[in-house]
Amino acid sequence: MRTLLEIFRFEWRQQWRAPLFWIMALAFGALAFAVAGTDAVAIGGASGNVLRNAPMVIVRLVSAFTVLGMLACGVFVAGAALRDFDHDTAELMFSTPVRRGAYLGGRLAAGYAAAVAIMLAVALGVALGGAMPWIDPARIGPVDWRGYAWAYGVIVLPDMLFVAALLFLLATVTRSLLATYIGIIAFVVLLSLSGLLTRDINHHLVAAMLDPFGGRTLGIVTRYWAADELNHRLPAVEGLLLWNRVLWLGVSVVLAAMAFALFRTDREGLRLPHRRARAEPPLLAPATSASRITLPAARLAHDHRARLVQLRTLLAFDLGQVLRGVPFLVMLVFGLVNLVFALALSGEIYGTPTYPVTHAVLETVQGSFQWLLPIILAFYAGELTWRERDRHTAEVVDAFPLPDGLALMARLLALVTVVLAYLAIGDLVGIAWQLGHGYTRLQIGLYLATLALDATPFVLLAALMLFFQTLAGSKFLGYLLAIVWLVASLIGFPLLHFDHNLAIYGHASSVPYSDMNGFGHFLAGALWFDLYWGFAAAALLVAAALFHVRGTGQTWRERVREARARLRRPAVVALGLALAGFALTGAWIFYNTNVLNHYESSAEATRKRADYEKAYGKYKGLPQPRISVVRTQVDIDPYGRRLGIRGHYVLVNRHDRPIDTLHVNFDTDFTLKSLDFAPHETVSDDARLGYAIYRLKAPLAPGASMAFDFDIEYAPRGFTNEPSGQFLVANGSFFDSRVLPHFGYQTAMQLTDRGDRRKYGLPPDVPRMPRLGDAKARNDSYVSNDADWIDFQTTVSTAPDQIALAPGYLTRTWTANGRRYFTYVMDRPMLDFYSWLSARYAVKKDSYEGIAIEVYYDPDHAWNVDRMIQAAKDALAYYQAHFTPYQYRQLRILEFPNYRQFAQSFANTIPYSESLGFIADLHDPAKIDYVYYVTAHEVAHQWWAHQVIGADMQGSTMLSESLAQYSALMVMKHRYGPDQMRKFLKYELDKYLMSRATETVAEEPLARVENQQYIHYNKGSLVFYALQDYVGEDAFDAVLRRFLLDWQFRGPPYPDSQDFMDVLARSLDSKWKGLLDDLFWKITLFDNRISEASAVKLPDGRYRVTLKVHAGKVYVDGRGKETPAEPDVPVDIGVFAAPTGKGLDGKPLYLEKRLLPAGDSTITLTVAGVPAEAGIDPYNELIDRVSGDNRRAVTVQ
Amino acid sequence: MLTIRHLSKTYANGVHALRGIDLDIPQGMFGLLGPNGAGKSSLMRTIATLQDPDQGSIELDGVDLLADKNATRRLLGYLPQEFGVYPKESADATLDHFAVLKGVTARGERRELTEALLRQVNLWDVRKRKLGTYSGGMRQRFGIAQALIGSPKLVIVDEPTAGLDPEERNRFLNLLAEIGEKVVVILSTHIVADVTDLCQRMAIIGQGQVLLTGEPREAIRSLEGRVWRRTIDKAELDHYRARMTILSTRLAGGRTLLHVLADAAPEPGFEPVVPDLEDVYFGRLRAQATARAA
Repeated sequence: MRTLLEIFRFEWRQQWRAPLFWIMALAFGALAFAVAGTDAVAIGGASGNVLRNAPMVIVRLVSAFTVLGMLACGVFVAGAALRDFDHDTAELMFSTPVRRGAYLGGRLAAGYAAAVAIMLAVALGVALGGAMPWIDPARIGPVDWRGYAWAYGVIVLPDMLFVAALLFLLATVTRSLLATYIGIIAFVVLLSLSGLLTRDINHHLVAAMLDPFGGRTLGIVTRYWAADELNHRLPAVEGLLLWNRVLWLGVSVVLAAMAFALFRTDREGLRLPHRRARAEPPLLAPATSASRITLPAARLAHDHRARLVQLRTLLAFDLGQVLRGVPFLVMLVFGLVNLVFALALSGEIYGTPTYPVTHAVLETVQGSFQWLLPIILAFYAGELTWRERDRHTAEVVDAFPLPDGLALMARLLALVTVVLAYLAIGDLVGIAWQLGHGYTRLQIGLYLATLALDATPFVLLAALMLFFQTLAGSKFLGYLLAIVWLVASLIGFPLLHFDHNLAIYGHASSVPYSDMNGFGHFLAGALWFDLYWGFAAAALLVAAALFHVRGTGQTWRERVREARARLRRPAVVALGLALAGFALTGAWIFYNTNVLNHYESSAEATRKRADYEKAYGKYKGLPQPRISVVRTQVDIDPYGRRLGIRGHYVLVNRHDRPIDTLHVNFDTDFTLKSLDFAPHETVSDDARLGYAIYRLKAPLAPGASMAFDFDIEYAPRGFTNEPSGQFLVANGSFFDSRVLPHFGYQTAMQLTDRGDRRKYGLPPDVPRMPRLGDAKARNDSYVSNDADWIDFQTTVSTAPDQIALAPGYLTRTWTANGRRYFTYVMDRPMLDFYSWLSARYAVKKDSYEGIAIEVYYDPDHAWNVDRMIQAAKDALAYYQAHFTPYQYRQLRILEFPNYRQFAQSFANTIPYSESLGFIADLHDPAKIDYVYYVTAHEVAHQWWAHQVIGADMQGSTMLSESLAQYSALMVMKHRYGPDQMRKFLKYELDKYLMSRATETVAEEPLARVENQQYIHYNKGSLVFYALQDYVGEDAFDAVLRRFLLDWQFRGPPYPDSQDFMDVLARSLDSKWKGLLDDLFWKITLFDNRISEASAVKLPDGRYRVTLKVHAGKVYVDGRGKETPAEPDVPVDIGVFAAPTGKGLDGKPLYLEKRLLPAGDSTITLTVAGVPAEAGIDPYNELIDRVSGDNRRAVTVQ
Repeated sequence: MLTIRHLSKTYANGVHALRGIDLDIPQGMFGLLGPNGAGKSSLMRTIATLQDPDQGSIELDGVDLLADKNATRRLLGYLPQEFGVYPKESADATLDHFAVLKGVTARGERRELTEALLRQVNLWDVRKRKLGTYSGGMRQRFGIAQALIGSPKLVIVDEPTAGLDPEERNRFLNLLAEIGEKVVVILSTHIVADVTDLCQRMAIIGQGQVLLTGEPREAIRSLEGRVWRRTIDKAELDHYRARMTILSTRLAGGRTLLHVLADAAPEPGFEPVVPDLEDVYFGRLRAQATARAA
């Protein structure tokens, strides 16, 4: 024991005395500080109402660092295990009478202690970060040390012990640091692999046990915790969590025991048998007497040809060393495994894959190497720069007559080759993936272009890393600089709102790719930035060559002197050219981004919104005229990227007082060429915020109308810092009525983040929607506050090879001045919500009972067009039969580029993103057909928005989004059956429960939803699906028809959710009142589960089934505080036969709703077939945080 | 003729490695003797362009070696004291690589040259083996092979025989001697016998200064009749040390053999010995130590 302590003490001193220890502690602490003290990286789930220092947030944050802690463990534990072998002190050590146990125990304990110490730096960083003065005090609770104690006790200490034991075993067995690191990487691969394989919500149990770090287990245990729980609770160490910890502590002990057992003190350690069979070196011939030296004459060449040969040789040598090395292969395999999994998951929506279109595959390739390549470059820049020093060949090589920059150039080329090799191999895997999926439109040209484009930032990074290494003068310092840079670019720059690409080395504007539009106009700017940073990289390399250390032990003074001596003509010329190129391209970029275009940092954009509210918030609700007629002449020049809109509004005063001022909002990206309306004077014209106030010479009398004519133009010049103008592109323009002038203060501009509001001097309380019952709010619909039902016509022109579209019916099309014109007329009043699209479309036409159905799509995206048409037909059929007639004669679906990912319903017109549905791969019938679902949902909006539109207040989106969800679910149910619905609803339930915790303001019950997506979509689906199941589909559809007939095309005043609930309450039996309260007016979480299910065969061949079930429910307030409640709603009890196929449910033998007492109860019933499964609320209709315990297999006795 | 004048170097840590070295090194083998830390390697590295002196000049036949380092490097063959290899590369691949870096870019010439060099250092049969598997002596021979690439005018070998067995040392020295017939070869060592056997001229360096320069034979001659020896008991050593200039002590058959510098027999029982270079070497070092102490 004494020796163990002495060994521990000695090793511990070795550890903490090393600079690496302090550097790691500092790096980990700083990272933790940045994560806890800023919003740059979101770990821990502190958002909205979850306090930044909530105990659970601390636990998640600190736990997240244990994976990084593996690195620390690798350094310290492997270092401790290998120290005597690395320093050749092994023979000294093992000739002492130290016992193996004491030796290994002391070393392991010291390495473990050092790694734990690093993790304490994390805690310190987290605690400090949370105490910074810039953090909104409302987001900070009292300091709660329980979180730290729990995190260390339950997660960090056992995790680090596991990693330490694993690494110690690897290190003692292999005796190689490299092998140990490879072991870590392999382990991480396996870990993420197991994570991917068990990611499905159905594999939670396995996932929870398989994670040695317990992070996934923790995630599963706290998956649905709401804000209040996260703020006050810590998970109990029981069940899954306890078993996980016990399992992996046990594994740790076994690993450590193996390390002790397998440890050998001899020189060789464990070796693979065949390695030992190497022949001994042959005996040399004895020295003969001195022979005459005759060496052939060899010319020493120093011309350019020779330099080229030398460069090639150096490159080949460097590459040979890199490519044959284990790290290269290991990291490549790691990257490829990562890639394959990313490919398998990319584009999945509701678990359904997309076709492997080339640009998506390329994005995945880039994504999977995005974090790997910087690490690889940093690593090899160090290895290559210092290889001669490390191998002690520097003195030989430095004395060769080579120019100073040649080796540097070779290293750069080697790194460039590494980058290209990685990306190219990734691309080959991508191609194989495409072919493996039967996808043959490979687009090799796109592969090559993207390869070049993706490689550029890495090449620039390689130059920077070489510069760091060379300048630092030591590998260690070089790595430190590299780490500082990587961390700064990951966290630091976003933190400082430092986002001009001119100022961050290697950055360029991103180049979004769309199948419809290619790289579009985004490419030019990016290339300029690449060129600009290319010059910077060249300058850095020249500087590196000047300061490159040759020979031994140079001080900085000597290096500066040497650099001056090296600054001769070629270097001066190269440096001068690079700097001149840098300055010129920089100036050109600045001219483009900041002079021709308006550059706005993200901070400035936020500030503008704050200023808007400060300056004009006082005009909120000011009476303004309403737009009643819209006539526009829209000229789209897609190839020249110009857009002109001449518009004519008729404005009506619908108030009972005259209106004497007009408050007009203009889109600041457009220039106002002319404005023409009644005599007026300009009171103010705020070009920055796009807000002008005009006083009418003659006030507009109540009921009177006036014309308002405008001519606006969007004509971008040059390029911008980040991609802009996605709405006007060569192929696939798509913009909507928001670009036109609008009247009155726009509440949509207001900041809704507490922190931002506080930072920019606004009252921190987030402005909320008007409360339900606010009669004044019924005057506006939620899509428009300056118009009601309008009269709409538009003429739109575009390039001759494109089709331009807008709501309304095509009445005339012609060609003039080399342009193609289309006039669209809507023959009935519609919402003030319209859009224009223009692209080179293929068109597929069909019809359903006199309604024309047309799909306008990219010719390469024909896969799902028929399915969309089918969905539209089925939807029209269901909605017309169950609701009201369709109000238009035509329904059009229009594809637009993937710069935006949604589908949206305008009057008789549905723009639909290319990435949402057009490329979905629906071959597997077991997968959810979301194309069908999305189409049905958008068609439903022709009723739920375009027939009935809710008032701009709480509950409004329930009337459109939730009812559109419901309608689509019914169409889906009739086509795909209830099994598919259960699958779909499981996703909805999961999304709803997970999103609750991230609520930033307050969760509202469905009838009071404030445009919260997880409520109106995900919860809406669940609630309405359950409701129709309880009251009957037909009964409920009758309610919907009643509501439609009552409110169709009406407003102002617009209907609100109370109106809907009134119809519902009136139409349904009063026995459903409790159910309606639970579903619509309260946030209700059910707790239904089944604990036992058994059956006995009766003499008559039937089965008597006995079930033990539990029923319960709680009400939750907006912040997650729970109150238990009596279950007063009947719940489905079901018994099922064995399923007939994979992924299918068994046929129900019994399915009825029963009112159960609170708590446990036993149910006995008799069924006719062999029972296989039974459950309480077996279809997961009610919202239940543990949905997996609603069914269980029946044991038949 | 290599001419070194006033060469001084102080390291960042304050070590005064070279203190005004003046040396004239003619064609042929030149031995540089000195104890560990005397400044031999600093001097060698400075000549090999691997570090800059604070002061002083180095010229080869009137050409300033410090002015254009790459020009100097073309004349140079250098085998540093500590010299590593790329353990996974073979000898011929590495030598070929080095030859390219040195400037032998014509493929045919290079192949002939590397073959000749490898044969010369007797590594031809093992040229395909990885350098990581070479013994110390084989590595040293590989080192000399690389130093001979491109017919250097100035060959610098720093402590080359340390760690070689007698057979290998012989072979190595023979090789050096041959080269030394045509060019300037500077051999730094702390093994006196190397210099005695090989060098026409030599210098002794201690604490960064030149203590003696000249021909070994001359130096030895200057001690003729002044070196005495006696075998004593170990316990008596302090007694003698206090009273006379002891050059060296060595154990022989369990007793101590004493070499003493004196103009006449210092005491009865001392007998004269024929001086060798080692006596010269220790004599100079003792003299310097005494001068410093005084």
